[in-house]
Amino acid sequence: MELDANAFARNSRKALSDKALQEALGRTTGRFMLHRAAAVAAFPGFEEARERASAIKMDVLAHLDAYLGRFVEEAEKRGVVVHVARNAAQAREIAARIARDEGVTLAVKSKSMAAEEISFNEALEGAGVTVVESDLGEFIIQLAGEAPSHIIAPAVHKTREEVSLLFERHLGEPRTDSIPELVGMARRHLRAKFLSAGMGVSGANFLVADTGSLVLVTNEGNGRMGAVLPRVHLAVVGIEKVIPRMADLPTFLRLLPRSASGQAISSYVSIVTGTKRAGDPEGPERMHILLLDCGRSAILEGKYREILKCIRCGACLNACPVYQSVGGHAYGWVYSGPIGAVLTPLLVGLPGAAPLPDASTLCGACAEVCPVKIPLPDFLLELRSDARDQGLKTPGEIAGMKGYAGVMKRAGLLEAIERIAGVLGQFFTKGKAIGGMPYPFSGWTERRDFPVPAAQPFRKQWKIRRGVTR
Amino acid sequence: MPYTTGMDPERSVPVSLFFTCLADAFSPGVCHAAVEVLERFGATVRVPLSQTCCGQPAFNSGNRKEARAMARKFLGSFPDDGYIVTPSGSCAAMVKHGYPVLFRDEPRTLARAREVGERIHELSQFLVDVLGVTDPGSDFSGRVTYHDSCHLRRGLGVVEAPRKLLRAIPGVEFVEMEESDRCCGFGGVFSVKHPQISCRMTERKVERILATGAGTVTSGDLGCLLSIQGMISRYGYPVKAIHLAEILAGKPKGN
Repeated sequence: MELDANAFARNSRKALSDKALQEALGRTTGRFMLHRAAAVAAFPGFEEARERASAIKMDVLAHLDAYLGRFVEEAEKRGVVVHVARNAAQAREIAARIARDEGVTLAVKSKSMAAEEISFNEALEGAGVTVVESDLGEFIIQLAGEAPSHIIAPAVHKTREEVSLLFERHLGEPRTDSIPELVGMARRHLRAKFLSAGMGVSGANFLVADTGSLVLVTNEGNGRMGAVLPRVHLAVVGIEKVIPRMADLPTFLRLLPRSASGQAISSYVSIVTGTKRAGDPEGPERMHILLLDCGRSAILEGKYREILKCIRCGACLNACPVYQSVGGHAYGWVYSGPIGAVLTPLLVGLPGAAPLPDASTLCGACAEVCPVKIPLPDFLLELRSDARDQGLKTPGEIAGMKGYAGVMKRAGLLEAIERIAGVLGQFFTKGKAIGGMPYPFSGWTERRDFPVPAAQPFRKQWKIRRGVTR
Repeated sequence: MPYTTGMDPERSVPVSLFFTCLADAFSPGVCHAAVEVLERFGATVRVPLSQTCCGQPAFNSGNRKEARAMARKFLGSFPDDGYIVTPSGSCAAMVKHGYPVLFRDEPRTLARAREVGERIHELSQFLVDVLGVTDPGSDFSGRVTYHDSCHLRRGLGVVEAPRKLLRAIPGVEFVEMEESDRCCGFGGVFSVKHPQISCRMTERKVERILATGAGTVTSGDLGCLLSIQGMISRYGYPVKAIHLAEILAGKPKGN
């Protein structure tokens, strides 16, 4: 996916004035949050599961090579061909080669954020393969020519009216405002594709090392259908998705649907283990797993390792008041919200996504809901500090900070400045709040007044009242 | 003695007031109110006059060199023993959680930062958890709603203390707003870097406040109140943002 993260400020302003987007965002994130809260409240073991999941992931990350080795060994035993891509270009090359070698011309794809990272669809289309998105949300935005704006609800930014318009234009369907009817239209259209596609493409929520299985958590069943109906199955998965044992899976399944959509369990949980065996009624004859590094092993070595614990539930997006205000596209890449604000700079480099770590008030709502306890606000702070070290701050900001720190060195100097500001402020405003301030504070007062400094700061008042000097 | 406190009235509790630079410059009344409430419950309040700013805006914007200089100054401004109390969840959280990050490579300063962090309390937390106050003895009256400042609630884990105190004021009708724990959009430097998003968030907060019909909204952080009162003042909404310390102190006495 094309990177546009440096335009965060411009993109977010656009999003704030987009009425349909604001309506869709308010409705969906609010619903997700309510459902999540109810699901968590109804499950007393949630905190314990979070602790356990976090510990399992930390163990995986400490021995990632060993667990991946085991996974590859077990998967290959079961007829799977495993590929590893260091970067997006290599991943695209491998994916296109697989499609060509397998003689595929039509592929049905279920949701995969990892595939978005490498611009998978473009790669296959370049190799002459038509890729049809089969997740309803992905199907909608594919028709619209857009990118997903949410990890689990890619078309969250679209209203039903917009969807009906798209179906009319691209599928020749009549206009409707009934969601079941819209779903029916998509299902009819997709069923034909499922039956004729040579390859099913998926991501994976988990890779299970001790069985070589991949686990798909979906609500529409499209993931399972794509994994068993076509002759070939290709899964595109980040290397951090491995978990040690099948016995660890329940811990994660308790957390993922509850955190994502507030469901106790999703409609479908598919465990795909190897190719079709003799006697199996269905299943792919050929199965490929494309493991993506794409910056992950570099993250593993550094101070941000814990970000790789992420299970892509999207809870931090729903909880984030900034995401709720601007939506996913403003973040300018695959991942949005708090996880995107941390992960994008780490995967594409901070210079390509410098504004993202600033896109947070550090309110901590994300860390509160994260099912694997990633310290997202700490990482945002750390990245902001990296930005200074990497020379990505504006000279104005640095000069401002130096001046402010200089004043704060001496209480006497601060008091003198406060007193001057107090006298001037009171003189010019006659005690009324300030309605407009100069750049860089002009935005602050666009729809808010700013208070006038007190005529006398507290320190001075205290000295006078209590007759003290130190 | 009309007020209830778990402390022995004979034994005075030494408290250093960390008055915060924001209140110092914009709302001295908040600092006076904090002193008044603390003295009401037997604390001997000392105000170290060399304190300036804890350095949070620099730390939060990633300018750690400057933040470190201010943090060092802060650590040197307060005495080696006794409680440190501040009418700000955010500034207390900065000292408690931010300083250990700033000084992670300086063991001696880190030890001092941790030790100071142990002694620092936000005002309502101190009153309830340390002094055992159940009734603040305030004559404030009216319908009041409470906004959870993010750093007080999630940073320090203080949720109930301010509510307990507000509910105990005889003249106060306490009402919860919806989404009381949702960020008001201030975020310090965030409100300067992303004023439009900040305003959008403040707008939603103000909507929730107005929906309660309260005449007063309060919070444990002046930053939040700056943003909330700023919007209230711009649009002339029929509600006032008043810091928790001032409500606990009672009817305003001087500025």
